[in-house]
Amino acid sequence: MKISQSSGVPIYKQIADAFRTDILAGKYSQGEYLPSIRELAKDLRISVITTMKAYEQLELEGLVTASQGKGFYVNAQDSEMLKEQHLRKVEDSLLAAIDAAEIAGMSGGELIETLKTLIEMRDQ
Amino acid sequence: MEKQVIAAKNIEKKYKNFTLSVPEMNIPSGFATALIGENGAGKTTLLNILTGIRNDYKGSIQYFGQYSEKEMEKTAEVRERIGYTGTDNYYLPNWTVGQVCSLSKLLFEHFHEDRFKKYCDDLAIFGGNAYDGRKKVSALSDGTKTKLMLAGVLARDTDLLVLDEPASPLDPLMRDKLCELIRDYLNSGEGKSVFFSTHNISDMEGVTDYAIILEQGKIVEQGFVEDLKEKYILVKGEKADIEAAKKILYTITTSNYGFEGICLAEDLDKLAGMDVVTETPNLFKISVAVMKRNSLIK
Repeated sequence: MKISQSSGVPIYKQIADAFRTDILAGKYSQGEYLPSIRELAKDLRISVITTMKAYEQLELEGLVTASQGKGFYVNAQDSEMLKEQHLRKVEDSLLAAIDAAEIAGMSGGELIETLKTLIEMRDQ
Repeated sequence: MEKQVIAAKNIEKKYKNFTLSVPEMNIPSGFATALIGENGAGKTTLLNILTGIRNDYKGSIQYFGQYSEKEMEKTAEVRERIGYTGTDNYYLPNWTVGQVCSLSKLLFEHFHEDRFKKYCDDLAIFGGNAYDGRKKVSALSDGTKTKLMLAGVLARDTDLLVLDEPASPLDPLMRDKLCELIRDYLNSGEGKSVFFSTHNISDMEGVTDYAIILEQGKIVEQGFVEDLKEKYILVKGEKADIEAAKKILYTITTSNYGFEGICLAEDLDKLAGMDVVTETPNLFKISVAVMKRNSLIK
């Protein structure tokens, strides 16, 4: 996990993002515990309250559950929700591409062509 | 999370031209808490009261959720659980490091000589040389004396460390090491807590969970750092909006090109219509803003 102190993205968000990606990618099995908040703070060289906030964020999203005195474990991932999360990520990335294209003065048609080319290149 | 390692109520200490007055202060259990404030804000007085070094004050203090200040004074068991380092070296100058070690063993039931020697080695107290019990305390530099005091408290089994300005005499590398030692300590068991005063907010930010800001003998802000980062927002804007922004922002610094300041989150919508960018402030920026609002410095 790479944490940037100067990216402008709050550190707790960077941590939550990294765990979310791993959980959605299936790197944690159902019921598996995340590292303890103090252990994680020690390893990432950040304060305990920041790791705690990251885990609370994941709990809020329904990805993990807090267990009194034992830490946070990963919930069963609902496949519909998983799909939804991935779809949202795709949309966000495409929106960013649309914004960038507008700045570059590309038309919608050109953008779609570029996307097609990139897909073809990747498939090869 | 609601548990407090120290809960103080109605603390008051009067000096001729200065009064420390703390109606309520809670230090959360299981976290690192920083006491921040200007020179002369009353930080050391407060720490000395909390550690029982001073007892000429009014008010009540509860330790570990169960002991009163009177019990703390009389019960060795409570004091065993607290480790303290001060800004003055409390080991006598003519003591040798070996004497520091044997006296600590006499004073505290849970002082581990092997751990003390290991910390002396880890913190390079003998400059990379082997442990030398004959070395005199007076021959150590200020920074090294602080390291020796840290080795002394970390060699004990405690549940709370109270450190008065531990970072000040230390070099940048050792400050980084200090943060690591604090994290290791917090991770070493359930409910381990650290309370330290500091001027070096930036250096200690990565280890600070809860912050208490003291100005003119009063607590002017306290809270978990992540909550403070939501309460105060860093705002940067254009020159044209300076006058309007001055009326809204909590603190503001202006230049020929624009302004930068801290805005309370609740006031953020009042900036609507202005061309501003907002950022999450770090603890340093928040502390400076809060101190500035309450300082006598013009």
